[in-house]
Amino acid sequence: MKENETILVVDDDLDFLEIIRRILGRKGYTVETASSANEAVSRLKGHFYNVTILDISLPDADGTELLPKIMKTHPDIIAIMLTGHSSVQNAVQSLNCGAFAYLEKPVDPENLLSVISRGLERQRLLLENHRLLDELERHNRVANTLLSVSQAVSQSLNLQEIIDAALERVSQCIGLEVSFVYLSRNDKLLLMGHHGLSLRIAGNLPKEIAKDSSTIGSIFSQGSPLVIEELANHPGDDLGFLKGGGYHSFAGVPLMVLRESIGVLGVATSFAHYFSPVNIELLTGMGREIAIAVRNAQLYEEASSSKALRELDTMRTEFLANVSHELRTPLAVIKGSANSLLQPDVIFDEETRREFLVSIDKDADTLTHLVDDLLMMSRLEVDALEVNRKPRSLAEIFDTVKDRLESLTIKHRLRINIPEGTPPVVADDVRIGEVLTNLVDNAVKFSDDSTMIKIEVRRALNEVIISVTDEGIGIPPELHEKVFERFFQGNGRKTSRRKGTGLGLAICRGIIEAHGGKIWVESKPGRGSKFSFSLPVV
Amino acid sequence: MDKKHIMIVDDDPAILRLLSTNLKARGYEVITATDGEESLEAVQKDFVDLIILDLMMPKVDGVEVCRRIREWSDVPIIILSARGDENAKVKCLDLGADDYLTKPFGIAELMARIKTAFRHRGDPSVAPAQSSFTYNGMEINYAKRHVTVDGKDITLTPTEYALLQHLAVNSDKVLTHGMLLQSVWGNEYSSEKEYLRVFVGRLRRKLEPDPKNPRYIQTIPGVGYHLASVK
Repeated sequence: MKENETILVVDDDLDFLEIIRRILGRKGYTVETASSANEAVSRLKGHFYNVTILDISLPDADGTELLPKIMKTHPDIIAIMLTGHSSVQNAVQSLNCGAFAYLEKPVDPENLLSVISRGLERQRLLLENHRLLDELERHNRVANTLLSVSQAVSQSLNLQEIIDAALERVSQCIGLEVSFVYLSRNDKLLLMGHHGLSLRIAGNLPKEIAKDSSTIGSIFSQGSPLVIEELANHPGDDLGFLKGGGYHSFAGVPLMVLRESIGVLGVATSFAHYFSPVNIELLTGMGREIAIAVRNAQLYEEASSSKALRELDTMRTEFLANVSHELRTPLAVIKGSANSLLQPDVIFDEETRREFLVSIDKDADTLTHLVDDLLMMSRLEVDALEVNRKPRSLAEIFDTVKDRLESLTIKHRLRINIPEGTPPVVADDVRIGEVLTNLVDNAVKFSDDSTMIKIEVRRALNEVIISVTDEGIGIPPELHEKVFERFFQGNGRKTSRRKGTGLGLAICRGIIEAHGGKIWVESKPGRGSKFSFSLPVV
Repeated sequence: MDKKHIMIVDDDPAILRLLSTNLKARGYEVITATDGEESLEAVQKDFVDLIILDLMMPKVDGVEVCRRIREWSDVPIIILSARGDENAKVKCLDLGADDYLTKPFGIAELMARIKTAFRHRGDPSVAPAQSSFTYNGMEINYAKRHVTVDGKDITLTPTEYALLQHLAVNSDKVLTHGMLLQSVWGNEYSSEKEYLRVFVGRLRRKLEPDPKNPRYIQTIPGVGYHLASVK
């Protein structure tokens, strides 16, 4: 240990220097000498000495003037002052400037050695103390950084928000220019976000990476950090996007939760950067914080989707109950009417028998309609609806449904207005006919007899908007979206009208969306409703 | 004989037409209503012997109509519903309906159930030989179809009364589920065990000071019931 301890002796008495060199050299210290203040200052530049022994009277400066300069640049040095003529004033001044001790010439070698050894002991304690303080501060910094990442990522349960917040914080905390995150999905690693990359380089970032090959893949699969200080020397081109962008050093850490790798955090710098073990430890810690937040978000997502599934399931059950009810009602009429005719105890007259047959006929139609609706809905659900889209004039479309609309509105006043010069639309006339029939049927169901039902057509930019307006009971604003949901049943239909399947408007929406259009309603309770849909023009 | 008045309540005009034609052809007077509210008004102003009630209706639904009518009337109620599940059935019977028929149904079956309901209302041919029955604070006057417990009048629906009378007349026997269903309701009801459970429950709620520990109608698990006048 002593071999490393160096002592600078400054004195203009060359004989004295030689004697001291020998004495200290024998004790194993490395000794250097200077015979003037100038020489001492230049030796002290760029070199660390444990101890300096300073003569107070030097030819070019006073030792008490030299000492403060030395202490300023070497605050931990042990300075021992020497003088030929003892003076309390000099001693006090030197000690005030930071000297460790004050010795009188002629120097007693034993005394000098013992002062040196006490000084070195104190220096060791001081240095150890500094080291511990530094370490404490570093730990503190790491903890604060991790805390800040942890806080940033725990603000949200949205995966993308977490990734974005994490990347921003990683760059902020450790001053790295570039960071990016890949997350495991199925057998691939998917790019989830990046920070600090120019648009051009970001565009070269691979969107997905195989788990078993490549640098990033191996960080993931081995679950251990990887540092590449010189990207230029890195073989393979999987980090080409960094090399090509002029980046110099790279480090990647796995995102680990419960010893399971769920992704990779990568960072890069455009200058040569040494990633110390402390850096890597910090990055790994950040990776852990990010991984926990990501996993929470994923679990939350899973939980909500299973909740959504349960809701869907409840809806299906309700739908089945509904469908069963709707099927049973016309079936009851059919069965009851046929059964009436079969009863042996009563013979009905000709007119009544005919009434039963008419009922059977009508409710068989109702059943057919219901089955059609159900089929249509299931086609829409699997996106299997065939739409025969062709340029057609609106007159052409209305022609196909005019009779049906008129018979539906037999107790109402129907007015259809198609302005001259309305451009043709790209549409399936049969399907659009179904939508119109459905909307008019609803208008009839929810408005009084003899009221007006208007169908209007107008042009808007690249679309034609068709609307059906009634003077019925209207729809409160909170239901304007809901009425288009499957199985929605409106209240307040006129008593003599039969309930539907709750599928009509859902089917309308499906058909219109398959045409690239939109459907919506404007309405206020008591003020009637206006259902509109748009179709693209040719 | 006076014609019996039947009210049909259904929001489906086709069902109303179908039922009225059939009932009129069999000698009943028919009143119709298309929603719950209308039916409640009609049943208060017209004389009605029996109600055929649809469950799913606008405004006031069938369950509510049933509950409200039972607050002041014991007129027999037959529920006609497109809901075939047991829960709906038990709920309606529990609320005081006398019978429950699921759509679609046969005309003959409906007619049979109407007859059963009327039979419960008091067919002199099944009146017991004795004029009354007394046991442990309960008194049944067969002639007046009148029941008191500890001196207090108990109002029973026809079906409830029919079940209680049958248990009282046969109070020396244990009556099996099948026997009770056949005698009180009819042959075609022999598998409708929940009818029995619901109606015994309804009777206990009206008669027993503590329905959980019945004083009168005892359950013989797996077999049936008996009115506990003998040991």
